[in-house]
Amino acid sequence: MGRTGMTVVEAQNLVKDYTTNGLTVPALRGISLSFEQGEFAAIAGPSGSGKSTFLHLVGCLDVPSSGEIRIEGTDVSTLSRKELAFLRRQKIGFIFQAYNLIPVLTALENVSFPLTLLGVDRKEAKRMAEEGLAAVGLEGMGNRRPKEMSGGQQQRVAIARALVKRPSLVLADEPTANLDSKTGAEILELMLSLNRTLGTTFLFSTHDRMVMEYARRLVHLRDGIVEGEERKGEGQP
Amino acid sequence: MSRGEFRARKPRNVWFREVLTVSFRNLSRHRVKTVITTIGVAVSVALYIFMDAWLLGMNLDSRRNIVSYEIGAAKIQSQAYFEKKEDLPMYESFSNWKPIAQALETAGYAAAPRMTFTGTLYSRSGSAPIVFHGVDPERERRVLRYMNYLEAGRFPKEGTYEIALGLLAAEKLKLDIPRKLTEEELTRLVEEAARTPEEEAFIRRLYARQEPVFFLRKDVSRTELDRFWELLVASGRNDARISTVIDIKEESGKIRHVYQVMEVKVVGIVNSPNPKTNGNVAFMPLDVLSGEEGLLLEDQVTEILVRAAGAKDSDLPGPKESPEAIEGALRSVGLPLPSPLRVYGWEEYVKDYIVAARGDNVSTRVMILLLFILSFLGIANTMLMAILERTKEIGMMRALGMTDGELVLSFMIEAGMIGLMGGIVGMILGSLANIPMVNYGIDYSAMAKQLSGDFGYRITALFRSAWNPGTIIGAGIVATLISALLSVPPTLRALKMPVTESLRFE
Repeated sequence: MGRTGMTVVEAQNLVKDYTTNGLTVPALRGISLSFEQGEFAAIAGPSGSGKSTFLHLVGCLDVPSSGEIRIEGTDVSTLSRKELAFLRRQKIGFIFQAYNLIPVLTALENVSFPLTLLGVDRKEAKRMAEEGLAAVGLEGMGNRRPKEMSGGQQQRVAIARALVKRPSLVLADEPTANLDSKTGAEILELMLSLNRTLGTTFLFSTHDRMVMEYARRLVHLRDGIVEGEERKGEGQP
Repeated sequence: MSRGEFRARKPRNVWFREVLTVSFRNLSRHRVKTVITTIGVAVSVALYIFMDAWLLGMNLDSRRNIVSYEIGAAKIQSQAYFEKKEDLPMYESFSNWKPIAQALETAGYAAAPRMTFTGTLYSRSGSAPIVFHGVDPERERRVLRYMNYLEAGRFPKEGTYEIALGLLAAEKLKLDIPRKLTEEELTRLVEEAARTPEEEAFIRRLYARQEPVFFLRKDVSRTELDRFWELLVASGRNDARISTVIDIKEESGKIRHVYQVMEVKVVGIVNSPNPKTNGNVAFMPLDVLSGEEGLLLEDQVTEILVRAAGAKDSDLPGPKESPEAIEGALRSVGLPLPSPLRVYGWEEYVKDYIVAARGDNVSTRVMILLLFILSFLGIANTMLMAILERTKEIGMMRALGMTDGELVLSFMIEAGMIGLMGGIVGMILGSLANIPMVNYGIDYSAMAKQLSGDFGYRITALFRSAWNPGTIIGAGIVATLISALLSVPPTLRALKMPVTESLRFE
C-alpha cells in the first residue's frame, strides 16, 4: 500500500519560540509542510535544527507560537486539551527514542494499553496485541517485562504499541538513536514494511545518515527553517 | 473531520481494569514504601477504632449507670429547687408527694421520693461531710439499683435510724470491714466485737498475718463477711451521729435554720458501678426524717425520681420517659403537676459528665486526628515521590491519549489502594484489639479510688469498650478517600508540565 493522496498532516507557517530566563530562542521559524497518507518521511537535520519540535507540534504534544496545524483536515488549535488527548488517542502513534514503555506492564499489556484506552474489549485487545507483537517479530515474548528485554526488543514493542490501534499517523522521534546500527536497520526495515502493508503515514526525525537512506521523503531542517527536500521513488534504496 | 470526533468516548469499564492493573503493579514495584505507608495508615485507623470504641463504651456505661443508680429517667422538682440544685436547697422542698407518686404508678411509672440534705457524719474515728438522701426503700428499689450492690450489710429498714454509706466515706470513717490491721488494732477490734470465745476465734480466723500487720484473708466467704459485719454493727462500732442544719422557708420567704443531731447506725456499705453512690453519700429511711427527731419534714421531699415501670437496666430512657411524656401521663390520669413543680430529664443533672465526655471526645479525637494527619503525610509523601519518579511515564501516557482526568483518577486509585489496604488492616487490628476490651475491659479501680471516684464518668472499676460498626467501616472508608484525595495535588502539579517537558524529565 502506498500514498493515496489524502493529506494527513498540513503545517502552515509554523513558528515556535522558547523563552528561557527572559531570553526568547526561536526553534521553528515559519515551516510549511504537508504529508499525505502512506508517506514514509524523515525530518533530518543537526541538533537544534527544530526537528523534534516539529514532531511535537504535529503530535499535538506542544502548541506553536503561531501558524496552523491540520490533522486530517482538523485545525488542532480549535481543540480543547481534552479533545487533543482524544485526537492523540485515536489518530496518532508515538515511537520514542527511549522507548518509554510502562515498566510494570508486560510487553503484551503495553501493546494492548492504547486499545483499552479506546474501549476495545479486553479479549479483543489481547488478540490484536498478540498480532501486533507477532508483526514486529516478538511472537511468544508477550509475558516479558520491559526490563527483561533488549533495547531493540523494547523498541519493537513500542512500534507495535504505536501501530496496534491503526493510527493515521506514526511519529517517531529518533527511533534508532539508542540502538546499535544492525538493530537500528532492522527496526527501520520493520517500520518500512509496516508502512507498506498498512499504509500508515510515518514521520520520523533523525540526524543519522543510515536512517535517512530509508526515508521515501527527506526534509532537511536547519535553524528552524526548511533547508531542502528530497523524494525517492518506491523500491529505493 | 469535525471536532466532534475527538469528544469523549466512554470506555471506562475497560481502561479502569487496565488502570487498576497498572496501579497494583506500581504498588508492588515500590513494595517497601507501600508497606511502610500502609502500616502507618493501619496504625492510625486501628487506634481510631480502638479509642472510639473505648469512648463509646465509657459513655454508654456512664449513661446507663447514671440512669440506673443515680437519677432514674427524670426528676420532679420545684422550679426554684432546680435552679439552685447545686446548693441542695432543702427549703425549696414540696409536700403532697404521695398523690403524685400514686398517679405516676397508675400511669405505668415507678416513682421514688427523696429528701436530700447535707450534714456531717461523725464516727469514732473522725468526721466527714456527707450528702444524705432520705428515701422510701420500697419505692427507691423500683427506680434505682444501687441497693443491689452492698459491699457489706443490708439496706436500711423503714422506721429505723439506719443508714447505708458510700464505700469511700465508710473507709474514711473506718465504718467498713477493716482490710488491714496492726496487732494492737486487731486485739481492740476483737475485744469490741466478740462476745464469746467462739466469736473471737472466728474474727481472728478472718485475718492472716503478714508481718508486721494482719490482712483480711482473700478467701473469706460472703457468709463469713456478713456474720462479721453483724458482729461489728452489734458492737456499736458502726454507730454514728449526723449533725445537720435544717433550713425552713417561712411564709415571709425568710430562711430559718434549726440545728439537729441524729444518732444513726451504719448497716450497709454501698459500692455500685456508679461512683456517685459510693462517695460521701448516705441513704436513710425517709419516714423517720418527718418527725421532730428527724428533720421536721411533715412529709416534705425535695424530689421524686421517675422511671418507666419494668424498664431494663441496660436500656437508656425511651420516649415514654421524656419530661413531656411524663407530664402528659400525669395529666391523662387526672393529676396535672401543680405549678411550682416540673419534670426535668436526667441529662439536666449530669452536666459534669457531659462536659467531661465532650472534652474527652474532642481531645482524644484531636489526638487521633494528628496521628491520622501524620500517616496521611506519609501517603502524600509516597505519592509525591511516586508521581515525581514517574513524570516521564505521565508524559508518555498523555502522549498515548490519556486525559488529565483519567490520569488524576489513576493516581487516586493507586493512593486509594494504599488507604484501602491500610484501612482494612487497621479495621482488623482495631477490631482485634476491641475484642478483649469489649469482653473483659480494663480494671482501673485503683485510679478511680485515688480520684475519689469523681472524674465525671460514672464508672467505678471496669473500663469496657463497645462495638461501633459505623466507625469501624467509616474509618476504613475515610482512610481510603483521604489517601485518594492526597494524590490529587501532586498529580495536578505534574500535569501542569508540558508533555514535551515531561517526556524529557529524568
